[in-house]
Amino acid sequence: MNIDYSQEVPTVAGRLTPAQIEELVAKPMETKPNKKYFIALSISVSLLLIGATFLAFSFYYGTGLWGNNQPVGWAFPIVNFVFWVGIGHAGTLISAILFLLRQKWRTGIARFAEAMTIFAVMCAGIFPIIHTGRPWLAGYLTPYPNQHSLWVNFTSPLVWDVFAVSTYFTVSFVFWYVGLIPDFATLRDRTASKLKKTIYSVFSLGWRHSNRHWTHYEKSYILLAGFATPLVLSVHTIVSFDFAVSILPGWHTTIFPPYFVAGAIFSGFAMVVTVLVFVRKIFDLQHIITLDHLEKMNKVILLTGMMVGYAYAMEFFIAWYSGVQAEQFVFINRAFGPYAWAYWIMVSCNVIFPQFFWFKKIRRSIPAMMVIVILVNVGMWFERFVITVTSLSRDFLPSSWAYYRPTIVDFGILLGSFGLFFTLVILFTKSLPVVSISEVKAVADGAQPTHHGGTDHE
Amino acid sequence: MNNDKKIFGIAATFKTPNEIIIAAKKVTSSGFVEFDVNTPYPVHGMDSAMKIKPSKLGFVTLVTGLSGAAIALLFMYWTMSVDYPLVIGGKPFFALPAFIPVTFELTVLLATVSTVIAMIALFFRLPDNKHPLHDTEYMKSVSADKYGIVIESTDAKFDEASVTDFLKKLNPLKIEIIYYPEEESYPIFQPKFIMLLVVIAAVVSGGTYLMLNKLMYITPFNWMMEQDKLNPQHSSELFSDGFGMRTPVEGTVAKGFIPYPYMGQTNPTEVLSNPFLPTKENIELGKGKYFTYCSPCHGDFADGDSRLRGQFPNPPTLHSSRGRDFSDGMIYHIITNGQNVMPSYASQITREERWAIVNYVRVLQRAKNASDSDLIEMNKETGSNVTN
Amino acid sequence: MSQTDFHYQKKDLPASLSKIGLLLFVIGTVLSLLAFFVDQERAVFNYLVTYMMIVSIGLGSLFLIALEYIAGADWSTPIRRIPEFFAGVLPVLLILVIPLLVFNHDLFHWAHEEAVAEDKILQGKAPYLNVTFFVIRTFVFITLWSLFYFVMTRNSRKQDQSKDQTLTKKNIKLAAIFIPVFALSLTFTAIDFMMSLEPHWFSTIFGVYFFGGTVVAALAAITLVVVKLKEKGYFSPWMNDDHLFSLGALLFAFINFWAYIAFSQFILIWYADLPEETFWFLTRWNGGWVYFSLGLIFIHFLVPYFALLTQPSKMNPKRLKFIAVWLLFAHLFDLFWLIMPNMGSMKSGYVFSWIDLVFPIAGIGIVILIFNYRAKKDNLIPIGDPKLKRGIDFHL
Repeated sequence: MNIDYSQEVPTVAGRLTPAQIEELVAKPMETKPNKKYFIALSISVSLLLIGATFLAFSFYYGTGLWGNNQPVGWAFPIVNFVFWVGIGHAGTLISAILFLLRQKWRTGIARFAEAMTIFAVMCAGIFPIIHTGRPWLAGYLTPYPNQHSLWVNFTSPLVWDVFAVSTYFTVSFVFWYVGLIPDFATLRDRTASKLKKTIYSVFSLGWRHSNRHWTHYEKSYILLAGFATPLVLSVHTIVSFDFAVSILPGWHTTIFPPYFVAGAIFSGFAMVVTVLVFVRKIFDLQHIITLDHLEKMNKVILLTGMMVGYAYAMEFFIAWYSGVQAEQFVFINRAFGPYAWAYWIMVSCNVIFPQFFWFKKIRRSIPAMMVIVILVNVGMWFERFVITVTSLSRDFLPSSWAYYRPTIVDFGILLGSFGLFFTLVILFTKSLPVVSISEVKAVADGAQPTHHGGTDHE
Repeated sequence: MNNDKKIFGIAATFKTPNEIIIAAKKVTSSGFVEFDVNTPYPVHGMDSAMKIKPSKLGFVTLVTGLSGAAIALLFMYWTMSVDYPLVIGGKPFFALPAFIPVTFELTVLLATVSTVIAMIALFFRLPDNKHPLHDTEYMKSVSADKYGIVIESTDAKFDEASVTDFLKKLNPLKIEIIYYPEEESYPIFQPKFIMLLVVIAAVVSGGTYLMLNKLMYITPFNWMMEQDKLNPQHSSELFSDGFGMRTPVEGTVAKGFIPYPYMGQTNPTEVLSNPFLPTKENIELGKGKYFTYCSPCHGDFADGDSRLRGQFPNPPTLHSSRGRDFSDGMIYHIITNGQNVMPSYASQITREERWAIVNYVRVLQRAKNASDSDLIEMNKETGSNVTN
Repeated sequence: MSQTDFHYQKKDLPASLSKIGLLLFVIGTVLSLLAFFVDQERAVFNYLVTYMMIVSIGLGSLFLIALEYIAGADWSTPIRRIPEFFAGVLPVLLILVIPLLVFNHDLFHWAHEEAVAEDKILQGKAPYLNVTFFVIRTFVFITLWSLFYFVMTRNSRKQDQSKDQTLTKKNIKLAAIFIPVFALSLTFTAIDFMMSLEPHWFSTIFGVYFFGGTVVAALAAITLVVVKLKEKGYFSPWMNDDHLFSLGALLFAFINFWAYIAFSQFILIWYADLPEETFWFLTRWNGGWVYFSLGLIFIHFLVPYFALLTQPSKMNPKRLKFIAVWLLFAHLFDLFWLIMPNMGSMKSGYVFSWIDLVFPIAGIGIVILIFNYRAKKDNLIPIGDPKLKRGIDFHL
């Protein structure tokens, strides 16, 4: 296939008109869900209930039901937390960074990815709270004047986490909602049902598509994107600080911040591709979420996968180079110790398999990319497992070494978080526009005036 | 057409973005000020066509962002270095590098949230679901895929006929006259509705209270109180004797405790010697402790004039020759061990304090039986002139 | 529109440029040679600072070219020749590096065999840190960069005549391969020439840190030249505010990136407080160095950050020109801060010497001469590039 580089690739395929775009996006909300939808929903709700049951057990009997024990006190809950926060990075990245880079292809996937961000951060938020063992006391994490006259420790990375994740959730939500306002207005104006109209009216805030508003609206989008971009970086950076400010070999290494961020983008994009492949098929959005968009995402996955590989290599090299015995041991132990199986799953899924994306055919083949992105998701979960567990299970003192084994409750709660995530995603697809209607309209063929007003020759 | 209604404006819709840009330019150049363009998405170049000034929203962001940073830094400074300074990880109280993450997060949080709120509330004057444009054919078409322009009746140059003519010349798809909606009262402000809310609130909270407290007997959270642990002075089922507290293993000694070897002996043949010099601080300490523990029975000057008025047998004076002949160690032994009706004070007065009391008793004894040489010494020191 | 029918006519750069370049080069070289006789160690260290500056500009430019190809960016296509000319310094590095290899004894503690014999840690590092392997690595890296530079710019130049789109495709593939090569070679260059100056110190982020500075330096150099050429009318009439804005925004992004990486490195070492890491920062806190360390925050981050914060300032040519010069200095300052405190006599504090000033003069001269040489041979705009029209018509 020969590409004509002198032409821009159209963002929306099939020369859709604005009306057709609106029709396509609004369709899932205006039709009754079919059988398949309910089957998918019941599967994910069952997963959610499994998780809820195990969580209830954990609350009743205590966290002793989990595999966490000395010396591995930070096991599954932290692994899952970092995993989900990482997944949550793709959304804001697509909506903010790609917006600033003026990548028009983001319009088709931004809304969905942002929603996934919000859901993933919700899943992530559960874990540190339940990990404390006393979730009802989570309010102590906020600095408020209290009867103990104590303040939270602002020098602790765990408090930074509280601020980072809650800020991230709030800003992502605001960003998402601001993007939804014009779409709510459009839905309000096309629905026939009175109830729906009331609901959409409330959420649209009475938006009138006024150009005097669009001016500020576009400015606010730039401002929000400008803030969300460093925010995205900061969140996973701060998550990496949880590990890296300590002195534990394998945790304390300076490359952690960019390495975690690259990993987060990597896993987040993989998750977005995983879900989008289904969504575009089920809701006939192939023209809006085109194969070109997926290919571009796969390229980003390839690039970030290599960044992660670079970080693995650098950690290994510097561990040897440092001449510090404990550092050297940790990395040998990771690759050849009792957790070697996890390490090699991580390396093969994160570094080796994504290399297939060098080939254009694989980048553009739906089944092949499905396999690879799911492997990437697995690999990125194992990355967090390797980092958290191997370093803790064998630290400085050989007498306190132990092999960590998760229990069935650990797996149940992890499964439950997937259930929560997919339940929210499935509900989202039927209740809100999965693609930003106004943004896609704006990048469709002939949507913009030909050079600032057609006849304008100034 | 209903002429009783008040006109909000006259709207025209167009099919292509090029047409709307031209229309907006013409409307602007004809001197209309109070008009608006409604498009389903932002059309490039419209701002310059309408001569809209760049958004000032950035100022809100700048100001709120900077104040977010300042609030965060000051707050952390105050809590961590002023209100409750704690040494954590050997870092200074004002550990600036460690404050940067939270400062950054609060900057972003405050800047973004207030920008959006300011935009919606101040710049857009939203929510406004009562605007005359709502529920019009015009709104429905610009919400979907048409491009519209409205000239509002508040404009100085507004005149129904001329504006309609003007817009017709632009060759629009359709022209629509938009009226102000008839006044309707919002149900949310009706007193009945507010009453309903109050009733619902009362029923829900009252019902919850009765349900939890009176039917289910669920106590409020007191997790800190009821912990599965041994409490001092409480019984416990864990041990067979039912006591929560344990006695120390025989032969063990608490940290810092120096055992007293003559405990229980009424007339020890040998005693300890005083390890403390009668310095001023030591005597001050002894004085304090004497007044606290000894003076109720022995009297303020160790005369044996108890303040207890016979409720307890008076101790003998310490100024007798027997008392004065006691060695330091013997007095210490009596305080530690007790004698006759006097109980042991070992658990109330620390070792050092007991020795300090001994020194102070010596001071009292010497003062009560001062010799002439003492008087000369005293006069020399204080510059007084007291004679015996 | 007038911009659609774009005709390029080659217009040579002013003749004075080569004279200025030559003058700077000669003066700088004479003074540098003098410096070698006055204080050899200090001269070699200063030579290294200027050498790394040239590496930054050349390699960063090549990276930006590759970035344009793989990202499919069009706004930067019309000005792509500027980084191509700057990347022309890469083959010259083969010569420029020789003094560093000859005087390696002055630079590298690990090159002293008697020191290694006494030091267990250095013995452990000897398989990597030894002169033979070091020289091999250095030449392999420079050769690789030069190869990529030659092939990619040759393709670009060929396209001027043939307008062949397959050349773009070839360059995209080359660029994709170049990125991992670039990442690894840049990292190991940073480790070899800067981190190993203090052979006991280590930091995994060091390569990324140097990368941040490299891109800032290359972008600043490109921005400076683009604004200058625009002012002299070389890019009229097509160049608009949006092109400048893109450059300004990229600069702004990479200033932030550098600050982010620098802060990450510092806070982790500061927080963990391990003596095997902190001493590197403590050296840079000794004597006068503390002013350099604190100054770096202002020079490399705060001042350019606030100068480029608002949207209008990112497309203001005067502001951009000033900030470009400022950032070139900032990167030089950063390299100076990285390299000079490792000099034996400077560990306890900074002592001023005229030697610190002369080497950059020669460096600027070299870069100007090579830029001018390349600019003479080539068109200032890649006229055969299929993306050129898109790039010229670029609007936000």
